[in-house]
Amino acid sequence: MTARALLAVAIVCSGARAVAQAPASAPQDAEPEPINDSDGYTPPAEATQTFTVDGYIDVGFAKAQGNGTSFAPGDQTIPADYGVDTFAPAVNSRGDVASTNSNGRFVNGFLPRSAGIGGNASFLLNTLDVDLKYTPTTAPLMVFSRVQFLPRFTGSGDETRVYVEQAFGRLVPFDSQEFALSAGKFDSVFGIEYLDNEANIRTGVTPSLVARYTTGQSIGVKLFYRIQIEALQSAVSLNVAATNSGNFVEALQPPDASLTGEPVGAGRLGYELNTRGIQAKLGASGMTGPRNDQALQAAHQTAYGFDARVAVAGVYLNAEYVHVDEGEGGPKTTSLGEFPISSSFNARGGYLQLAYALPFSVGPLRKLTVYGRYDHRHAWFEGFTPITVDRFTGGLRLDLWESLILKAEYLDNRELAGAPTVANNVFTSSLVYSW
Amino acid sequence: MRRASILGGTWLAVAFASLPAVAAPPPSDARGWLGEELPLPLAVRTPQDLAVKSAAEKQYLIFNLLAGGKLAWDAGDVASAATKWEALLKLRPLDPELERTIKPLAHEARARAGGQPAPPAAAAPAEAPSMPPPVAPLPAAALATVTVSGTVSGGGAQGPGGAVIWLKRANGETPRPSPARGKVITQVGKMFVPRVLVVPVGSKVAFRNDDPIFHNIFSLSKPNEFDTGLYKQGATYTETFRHPGAVQLLCNIHASMLGFVVVVDTPYYAEAEGSGAFAIKGVPPGDYELEIWHEAAAKPTIERVSVGAGGLRGLALRVGGDKRAPQFLPDKSGKPRQSHLGY
Repeated sequence: MTARALLAVAIVCSGARAVAQAPASAPQDAEPEPINDSDGYTPPAEATQTFTVDGYIDVGFAKAQGNGTSFAPGDQTIPADYGVDTFAPAVNSRGDVASTNSNGRFVNGFLPRSAGIGGNASFLLNTLDVDLKYTPTTAPLMVFSRVQFLPRFTGSGDETRVYVEQAFGRLVPFDSQEFALSAGKFDSVFGIEYLDNEANIRTGVTPSLVARYTTGQSIGVKLFYRIQIEALQSAVSLNVAATNSGNFVEALQPPDASLTGEPVGAGRLGYELNTRGIQAKLGASGMTGPRNDQALQAAHQTAYGFDARVAVAGVYLNAEYVHVDEGEGGPKTTSLGEFPISSSFNARGGYLQLAYALPFSVGPLRKLTVYGRYDHRHAWFEGFTPITVDRFTGGLRLDLWESLILKAEYLDNRELAGAPTVANNVFTSSLVYSW
Repeated sequence: MRRASILGGTWLAVAFASLPAVAAPPPSDARGWLGEELPLPLAVRTPQDLAVKSAAEKQYLIFNLLAGGKLAWDAGDVASAATKWEALLKLRPLDPELERTIKPLAHEARARAGGQPAPPAAAAPAEAPSMPPPVAPLPAAALATVTVSGTVSGGGAQGPGGAVIWLKRANGETPRPSPARGKVITQVGKMFVPRVLVVPVGSKVAFRNDDPIFHNIFSLSKPNEFDTGLYKQGATYTETFRHPGAVQLLCNIHASMLGFVVVVDTPYYAEAEGSGAFAIKGVPPGDYELEIWHEAAAKPTIERVSVGAGGLRGLALRVGGDKRAPQFLPDKSGKPRQSHLGY
């Protein structure tokens, strides 16, 4: 018998067998298998992208009332230490203010960075951000860096910088545990606002009034652990860090580190509910350690706070409360010069933000979000009059195509107690392009 | 479809058996060349299996185009030889020595074929037309379906693998496909395996957690959105995909996990292997709109194709690679997540 005949016999036999078996394996009413059935495709490991370069550019347009500060014209309040922090109206995603010009009044150097636009309507080049991420396929490791170019043109305290915001490595040593260990310069672990502290992530343009106390980056080690509770569709997490400074933002109070050599400890205990209908995250945070700007061992900073995030049917609620105390310290050096004493500082504040993503997309519009936020802050330097302010923010955000975000918002800043009322409301907008 | 396949096998057997051994064509005859069907029926259970399958199919494709061209050349079918060798020369990466050898031959074949690309039907190794007539009359369905095959290129840095190709009738209604059965996407090493799966509408896909940690798979791709909830190692969640479209798969716990189920409302579909090779079987001759989806393409590629009685082979398709991977994958609530934060 030739090979061809053998092949013929084999094919005939296989066909006959298939016919004979068909009734047993496939019931009469069963649908036939699709002839083009596929097992799917998974790229080979070497084709997996391990190095990524992302980033964004954030440009804006803003106009602040008055001269861009919250110093009331003609106000001669004694003592004259305003503590500019309390007064500064933010105009961009970094919390930079329109102006810190005190017109000769004494301030204590507790200054935010300034966009330097005063009361003029101005275009802003806020941030050029580049993120590098490397994730080798051979180790449970990730290396991440975020470098930002911050062009500023106004001088004192506002110089153009290339800022390494983050640079760290993260190891996930156990396959069976949600446990991660990070070392380097990384985001705060305090509260929740650091999670969307970048212009391409944050819902609105400006940070909250308490972001300056919670969203700073520091150098140190960080440990994250989470355990899932299947029966409750829930998880409990712990995020703790030991770093060289507290969670105040670097723009607020240079130098951005504890000068004592002792670490600052911070942590957040979180609870997550992840059901089909509702997503909720609740947390309690704490921080304690030496003051950022002090070599004096006795000068401490402590903070605690509570936070909540809830998402239901396209509505997002974020809320946070923060309680901050900084003890009195010795001399400090800031970009404004030497100050003989560091006043004790206390702040209590929080915010509640509601956002609703309208469920439609038209043409290039992928998402339209309306949002509103209420901020409240009560703060004082020891020996000076406490100042209470609040802020209403309303805005609109358009997500266009996959990479463009247009945001516009109006901030109604109010002086409630301890300081004269001043026209310092702000209109600001932001165009963020991500790549 | 199974019935058609069985009948086809019987017909083939009868056809071969009816040839006297002495009349068997010489080995160089391209008739009955069966080695162009991709993907290979290799079992895939692990990412390693997939890697082996992908590599084997790449070599298989190279061999088929190389040897198929030679057989066609020897049989005097210079147009087919040119088409196959030209398709071979488009593959990347390609052994430079092989390229040096084949390039002049492809030019020569093309020149002898009159310098024009071979028509698709002629480019294919003949199936039914070159076979002797069957001994007994066969149902029309057994004879009427052919194969549409070729290679996809493009897809940017990811390459063409995972491109999903499907055909819909240009004139008239496309038959409703039968749902696929036994489809499984596992979660292994915080990845979806497979990363891309094509299924007909109405198919059930099981999501099985093979990791020693929890997963929570979900999709926000309307109208196929779903949410498995938390499920542990070894557990399986089954979802039925009732609407056509690409369904983005995400994990609420692991912000870097990304996969796709592409749901098609046609029985004529295929998924490209790593080399870009694909084959759609059981296609009745006629005019079709061919569409290609790829995760790296901002827009689908759409082409009109005519499928002749001999099938359509050697199709060279291109898909875009202009859509970058998403910078932030959302959680269940749609909120973007920075994957470098937390876990």
